[in-house]
Amino acid sequence: MTHAPGPATGFNVVALDAVGSTNDEARRLARQGAPAGTVVLARRQTAGRGRRGRSWESPPGNLYASILVVPGMPASRTAEASFAAALAVAETVERFAPPGLGVECKWPNDVLLGGAKVAGILLEGEGIEERGGTAWFRWLVLGIGVNILHFPALAGYRATSLAAAGGETPAPEAMLAPLLAALERWLHLWREEGFAPIRAAWQGRASGLGGPIEFRTGEATLRGAFVGIDAAGALVLRLADGGERKLSAGEVFFG
Amino acid sequence: MTAIKIDRDLVRELAALLQETGLSELEYAQGDVRIRVARAGPAMVAPEAPAVAPGRGGAEPRPEPATEAAHPGAITSPMVGVAYVRPEPGAETFVKVGDRVVEGQTVLLIEAMKTFNPIRAPRAGTVARVLVSDGAPVEYGEVLMILE
Repeated sequence: MTHAPGPATGFNVVALDAVGSTNDEARRLARQGAPAGTVVLARRQTAGRGRRGRSWESPPGNLYASILVVPGMPASRTAEASFAAALAVAETVERFAPPGLGVECKWPNDVLLGGAKVAGILLEGEGIEERGGTAWFRWLVLGIGVNILHFPALAGYRATSLAAAGGETPAPEAMLAPLLAALERWLHLWREEGFAPIRAAWQGRASGLGGPIEFRTGEATLRGAFVGIDAAGALVLRLADGGERKLSAGEVFFG
Repeated sequence: MTAIKIDRDLVRELAALLQETGLSELEYAQGDVRIRVARAGPAMVAPEAPAVAPGRGGAEPRPEPATEAAHPGAITSPMVGVAYVRPEPGAETFVKVGDRVVEGQTVLLIEAMKTFNPIRAPRAGTVARVLVSDGAPVEYGEVLMILE
């Protein structure tokens, strides 16, 4: 069976055996003048990162890649790319997932397979500059981890891998081509038509939409109904008193 | 003509002392070398802004937002999100009041939808005020920090 989506043009893959963090390496390359479309693919990471300094276990067999993207949008809108990236990863995971097991998105950019986390994304802006009174990032470093063979045992929520879920287990390099093609497509749609179609597609795949959730920030835990995402991607939470809160940073737990 | 070697540590220590004591000027002399440190502008009483309650909409207005925004050294938020003054929980802050920063140095981090965006000093200067607390929600255009 072939998964060839056509050549992913415009990407230049730097394949490494081991690296501290693919995002850090991609950022380093960006500062050295690497072109857009540079991709750092590592067999393993020795210091893989997640949100807010959390580590991302990175044994060989899973996909660890960071892509240098020129956002083409002002800094105020770069967070929207989180959802475009999540849709590309979800679509890619779906190619290899066992039939009958749903691939969903969890706010803002996790991908779930059968309700358990199978992929994570970490985006980092780089090279902020002002053009005509508006702030822009020169780069967006898009870090993607997909659990193909392994998944970590984590307290608090369920994780899985394609292998554990009974899906196909491609080599990371073989997963990269369809992933980059999907990414190119979703980012293109975002730049051409804005956030509306991304938002609609993401909500169509969103896990727990309408249901009760717990939203944890560093300081507080809020409970309410997950109404959806707003026009900027913030999670809209309806509280028990009927009031709504828009949240742009934190962790979602399904209640 | 004798070249005076600047004792950066001493200057830093004096600046910190200035901050600590609330004085507006301090002079230190040893032999032929005299170092005078002074504050520019009004005395800064609070080195850190009070914690902003999540959700905003509190009754208390922020102090003179118009003045802050008009400050030539104001660093504003390029997006709606949550501000962090340290790279990760438990780590040292990127900068603190009184620190000298160089152009391009990361002074804060803004998170929005798990996109992490380093905010860099647009020019060299000294951190005069930090107007956000760690984990505080921020609006587009909100003043985060003031450099002198």
